[in-house]
Amino acid sequence: MCPKGSSVKGSLLLLLLMSSQLLSRSVESLPICPSGAVNCQVSLSDLFDRAVMLSHYIHSLSSEMFNEFDERYAQGRGFITKAINSCHTSSLSTPEDKEQAQQIRHEDLLNLVLRVLRSWNEPLYHLVTEVRSMQEAPDTILLKAMEIEEQNKRLLEGMEKIVGQVHPGDRENEVYSVWSGLPSLQMADEDTRLFAFYNLLHCLRRDSHKIDNYLKLLKCRLIHDSNC
Amino acid sequence: MPFLLKEKEANMKENVTSTTIFLLLLFLNTNLLNGQSAPGKPKIEKCRSPEKETFTCWWKPGSDGGTAANYTLFYRKEGESLTHECPDYKTGGPYSCYFNKKHTSIWMIYIIWVNATNQMGRSMSEPHYVDVTYIVEPDPPLNLTLEVKQSEDRKSYLLLKWSPPALVDVRSGWLTLQYELRLKPEKAPEWETHFAGQQTQFKIFSLYPGQKYLVEVRCKPDHGSWSQWSPENSIVIPSDIKMKDTTVWIFVAILSSVVCLIMVWTMALKGYSMITCLLPPVPGPKIKGFDTHLLEKGKSEELLSALGCQGFPPTSDREDLLVEYLEVDDSEDQQLMPTYEKDHPSQGRKPTQLDPDNDSGRGSCDSPSLLSEKCEEPRIPAPTFTIPEVNEKPDDPGTNVTHNWDPQGINFKGKNPYFNALGSKSSTWPIPQQSSNHSLRCSYHNIADICKVALGTVNGPTVSLGKEENHALNYPTTIDTGGEETTDKQNELGHFHSNVDQGTTWLLPNEKMPFMSPRPMDYVEIHKVNKDGALSLLPKQKESNGNTEQASAPDSSKEYAKVSRVMDNNILVLMQDPRAQTRVIFEESAKESPQPLQHNQAEKNLSYCTFPPGDCRLQTGNTTE
Repeated sequence: MCPKGSSVKGSLLLLLLMSSQLLSRSVESLPICPSGAVNCQVSLSDLFDRAVMLSHYIHSLSSEMFNEFDERYAQGRGFITKAINSCHTSSLSTPEDKEQAQQIRHEDLLNLVLRVLRSWNEPLYHLVTEVRSMQEAPDTILLKAMEIEEQNKRLLEGMEKIVGQVHPGDRENEVYSVWSGLPSLQMADEDTRLFAFYNLLHCLRRDSHKIDNYLKLLKCRLIHDSNC
Repeated sequence: MPFLLKEKEANMKENVTSTTIFLLLLFLNTNLLNGQSAPGKPKIEKCRSPEKETFTCWWKPGSDGGTAANYTLFYRKEGESLTHECPDYKTGGPYSCYFNKKHTSIWMIYIIWVNATNQMGRSMSEPHYVDVTYIVEPDPPLNLTLEVKQSEDRKSYLLLKWSPPALVDVRSGWLTLQYELRLKPEKAPEWETHFAGQQTQFKIFSLYPGQKYLVEVRCKPDHGSWSQWSPENSIVIPSDIKMKDTTVWIFVAILSSVVCLIMVWTMALKGYSMITCLLPPVPGPKIKGFDTHLLEKGKSEELLSALGCQGFPPTSDREDLLVEYLEVDDSEDQQLMPTYEKDHPSQGRKPTQLDPDNDSGRGSCDSPSLLSEKCEEPRIPAPTFTIPEVNEKPDDPGTNVTHNWDPQGINFKGKNPYFNALGSKSSTWPIPQQSSNHSLRCSYHNIADICKVALGTVNGPTVSLGKEENHALNYPTTIDTGGEETTDKQNELGHFHSNVDQGTTWLLPNEKMPFMSPRPMDYVEIHKVNKDGALSLLPKQKESNGNTEQASAPDSSKEYAKVSRVMDNNILVLMQDPRAQTRVIFEESAKESPQPLQHNQAEKNLSYCTFPPGDCRLQTGNTTE
């Protein structure tokens, strides 16, 4: 192999690494373990710190995105009155206050988090696609949607690792809620379409907050022994 | 009769209508007096949760609510169809509804409205949609304490401590709080804000002693609103505390003042030398051999003589000193070379005709006949003196000897630096080894060494030039001191060359000659040579350096020798100027000694100068004629 070729490959690899670093933006995307490593063991504490960081970031983005959309498109339309009980993940029985969240077992809570995360894979994908096709959508909403989709995948990977460490044997089937709001997103009627977006963003904001809260509870319970 | 009935019916209708109107009016008046109407539409203003476990909503009565309206609040939760009424109207104060933990659900929209009822009617507010998740606003932090402490290295700082609000559950991670504090001196207009993160303490450095500071702190949940500022706390920084910065600044000030003092002192002591080091004085123009003091004295002659301009410029009074021209035969044997390079001595010497127009006053001893066969003698026996290329070597002293003293033909290169310098430049004699072999010396002040060398091998009475030598030797040094030449002898000879151009003088043997009276030497210089080959001689000029021997002579008038005749062997016989009062050595020697012997002796004693290709024999002759 001539030296020139290897140097070119090396530079390309470096470019790729750098671009991936740049894309990660405010969230550090440090690989936990290099790919291919068998015996790599990151501590649970680090895993939880990473997960909490990601979940906090995702909710911040979702909240910003919702507020921006609400100010821009949803004023005076009364969308909130219609967005009652309209999230596709409401079928998942999640705790609804602190007492319930503290009473649930951490394994069940972890599984619940996984389910919610998995339920959002597809909607996020379609959200990005549809926002991109929306000509009047500002770039900020699109960029945030893309970032949320990316980080959601990462959080899912991290949670799967945590579950693998906390209770590896209990591997449940992949259960998640199916989202069927795609046709609404593609409606020709502007009012209907906008409400579909509004509803999607509203549910995203709520579910991301749930995940963030659950993970923080789990972290304090498992890592700091309920003494954060 | 039917007419009357109709009238009665109309009256009765009028009565009823007026009564009704009267009653209505009465009723209205009564109502107005009582102030009662349907209540205005209330409005829910704000809902807030201090810890994300409970929340409170406040409403505002309608505009014309008046008094005694009952307000009831109802709500419905997302995903339920039941309507509930507010569980607690009191805890939150008037026009409030407090939802305790049992009635609070997170991640769920509440639809809340208020009914206002009174006797006249009721009204209902707009429904208010609220999710507890997004209305969290905690209470301010508690127990803010201020303390001035000192660290290990004697640094003082202000330590702030506080605790989270009472209701917030941070330990389980239900809420994550971040804190912010602000402080200012008591009378400052602006606050200085610091973000403290999730910690419940903070250190502040660099505060001014003796000042009173006010501090406040607030908190914010991870996805909620900022709390109100805590109650103000204040502290007075003690005056005796030394803050680190002050000590450092005092140290810096002392050090810089010491450094400044040292610099000033150094400048004062050595200011001049530093200035000269930084700004070296511009050297003034200097001419080699130029003595500015002479300028001040106004003696241009001395000045010019110092430069080697012997006899330059020729002044009018010099005419008096001119003697009759020297008549010289112009034969090929005799190649009088009174001509010198008029220009630069570096020109090669070639046998040239005597240039009578040469007015440069060069008086080098180039007249060929001055030297007798004595010149030859020293040559032959001198071990270092070889003239291989001389065309004619006279064997017989006194005979007609012509020597082509072409210095270029003579190879002395390796032997004497003088020669090397001279050979290429002047028509001077080649110089063999110097002083050690000298017996006769020719101490021309400008070509002293040459002459010395040439005469050096004479076995006859030595002519030690002594003072003249010294004088001659001194001469270059005077020149040298004027310039910046090295003491290299070649350089000296360079001066000699220039002197040769200007004028050479005859240096006559001094008193050391046994047959010569011990009299100071007088010098004659060839002033000019005219067309016919006549030499005009001049007394040697007084040296600028004031040679003592010379100085002693000013009282005595200069003696001149003029050529009386030319002998057949091309020997010039000089005679004294009849105007001269003192006598030159030649004259005396001529008197005192037998003539021929004297001639010879005198010839021996004479120093001779080279003529450029010509003969180098000059002889002082009897001047009695």
